[in-house]
Amino acid sequence: MELTAEAALKKPFKVIQPRKGLFQLDLGSIWNSRELLYFLIWRDVLTRYKQTAIGAAWVVLQPLINMVLFTLIFSRLAKIPSDGIAYPVFAFTALLPWAYFAQALTKTSGSIVGSSNLVTKIYFPRLLIPLAACIAPVVDLVFSFLVLLVLMACYGIAPTWAILYLPVFLGLAIITALAVGLWSSALNVRYRDVGSIIPFVAQIWMYASPVAYPVSVVPEKWRLLYSLNPMVGVIEGFRWALLGKQSPDFSAMAVSAAVVTVLLAGGIVYFKKMEQSFADVI
Amino acid sequence: MSKIAIRAENLSKEYTIPVEAVRYDTLSDQLAGSMKSLLRRNNRRERREKTFQALRDVSFEIREGEMVGIIGHNGAGKSTLLKLLSQITHPTHGRAEINGRVGSLLEVGTGFHPELTGRENIFLNGAIIGMSKMEIKRHFDAIVAFSEIEQFIDVPVKRYSSGMYVRLAFAVSAYLKPEILMIDEVLSVGDLQFQRKCMAYAEELRKSNATILFVSHNMFAVKAMCNRVIYLSEGSVHFDGSPAEAIECYEGPNRTSALPWAQNAIGADPSDWDVYIEKVETFDVTGAERNLFNYGERVRIRLDYSVRRTVSNPNFLVSFIRSDELACCNYNTAMDGFSVPSLEADGSIELLTPPLNLVSESYKICVLVRDAKFEHLYCAQIGKTFHIRHDLLNTHFGVFHEQGEWFLPNTVDNHISFNFTGGSLS
Repeated sequence: MELTAEAALKKPFKVIQPRKGLFQLDLGSIWNSRELLYFLIWRDVLTRYKQTAIGAAWVVLQPLINMVLFTLIFSRLAKIPSDGIAYPVFAFTALLPWAYFAQALTKTSGSIVGSSNLVTKIYFPRLLIPLAACIAPVVDLVFSFLVLLVLMACYGIAPTWAILYLPVFLGLAIITALAVGLWSSALNVRYRDVGSIIPFVAQIWMYASPVAYPVSVVPEKWRLLYSLNPMVGVIEGFRWALLGKQSPDFSAMAVSAAVVTVLLAGGIVYFKKMEQSFADVI
Repeated sequence: MSKIAIRAENLSKEYTIPVEAVRYDTLSDQLAGSMKSLLRRNNRRERREKTFQALRDVSFEIREGEMVGIIGHNGAGKSTLLKLLSQITHPTHGRAEINGRVGSLLEVGTGFHPELTGRENIFLNGAIIGMSKMEIKRHFDAIVAFSEIEQFIDVPVKRYSSGMYVRLAFAVSAYLKPEILMIDEVLSVGDLQFQRKCMAYAEELRKSNATILFVSHNMFAVKAMCNRVIYLSEGSVHFDGSPAEAIECYEGPNRTSALPWAQNAIGADPSDWDVYIEKVETFDVTGAERNLFNYGERVRIRLDYSVRRTVSNPNFLVSFIRSDELACCNYNTAMDGFSVPSLEADGSIELLTPPLNLVSESYKICVLVRDAKFEHLYCAQIGKTFHIRHDLLNTHFGVFHEQGEWFLPNTVDNHISFNFTGGSLS
């Protein structure tokens, strides 16, 4: 059990004291623990479909089943228009980012409480927990993206160069999920009510986003307010990048991106403040 | 002179306990309340919560290579101190400096995911306790060999026996090669063999000049392993120095203290109780005062009491509480058929136990005074520790050990004689 030379050279030195000030965020520690972040994401992905009969096929099946339901209910029964695009493709394109967002939001909100055995027993930067929880579902999204490509081919729709913008819209979805998730995961530690509220938030949020219907059905006078919802920009962006629909309102998107950034910054500060008491109240 | 590994300066930790009656009623109140406290940080939630001081102004310096025991009664702040030093929770005041890589045996298996295989968990757990991917890869084979579970390495750990689980988890922890190791005996699980492995590991680390903090209730282990002991009492450092003196201090000469639950039942101020046990002393059969007995010895316990109000028909109860809070046995005058005259003035009473076949451990003497019908409680105190020593028998053998009678049923002679004697015995 001899100590290796490298370990002896850079002995970690830590100072433990009450955090002074709201803005001592120590974000560098996140970068230093990026390997752990990777392992936490890897764990989430690996364990998601263990001991299921059809395993990773669920990743593909879930949005497909949703798409069929949406097509039956919203297109056939409710006769909701889809701006001239075949409704299944129209819905699936929106379900792609939406399914990610809903899952990331739920997972992130419950992430700290769900890791209570870690939180009470060992130290590592707590921010990694919600961060991992909101990145892991991206893997699902990638798989269902491949299904969408197949679906588009079936309907004879070719993607345009705008597909290169997809990561931007995905990034906005991730940051939105993280921003809300940071608040809700930290609040959830003290008030478990959050766990019961989140499913409703997700449901209401879905109806406030153009998942089942096109933005064109939203009355003009509400349009500006409506587009402040960052998921409107994300979903419209996906449809634009993949199906060549008219481009989303980038100025409204910029506003909602700014709102999300503020929410995210506030979320980090709040999370770091609450972090100190996680082990005591969880 | 060796360098300082841990320096604590006035470390304090307060916990806030919500006062039930004034809890927030609705979530919106709670949200409003937490927003308020977030915005006005100095105005700490206006007396809606009581504070409990788990640690107060704890200061010490520990040098590299020291092996320090931390002892104290339950609630003295031992675990809180370890949690602060391992950064799990933050101090309210004060600071600590940690110089070196910290590992602990209090979180063996933390972060194991039941659905993942042994192989996958080695990587996950290794990363959680602070190893880099490179390190884990480098030590992977050694970890597997050390854990002795090669053939099950690709089986989900939920299929493991608890022994295999702990062995694997421990193997990962062992290869972290910490410079500062914290062991909380109360929390560490596992069988006898595993505990020996832990101790052997600690010993090996010590040889490589690692610093070790060891929280324990077991005074033998503390004496055997540590070269310095910090005795915590009610959150403060009560004594810091040689193990022998610290243990002396911890056990107190003949000290007793009122049991908190009794203070609720009879009255908060023990000096106003009808009876109070002033002193508890232990002697061997020859009358010499001792607190270390061999397994199977008889113990003579003398209780000196003071009386404030007459107690008629008193019943003295003496129980032995093991260091893990297990009540092991009880003697009482009512059931033992000894009638005590009414208590009117200060006096003393003695109990001579039968040969104590309790396992090797530390035992606290708990004394209660009730009435013969067990209806009233006049006094309840705990104090005075004594030890029982045996080379082999420890808590893994249970509470006590008594000789049993053994037979070989397949051997005709024994079988028949057993049947015959069995008949005649009844």
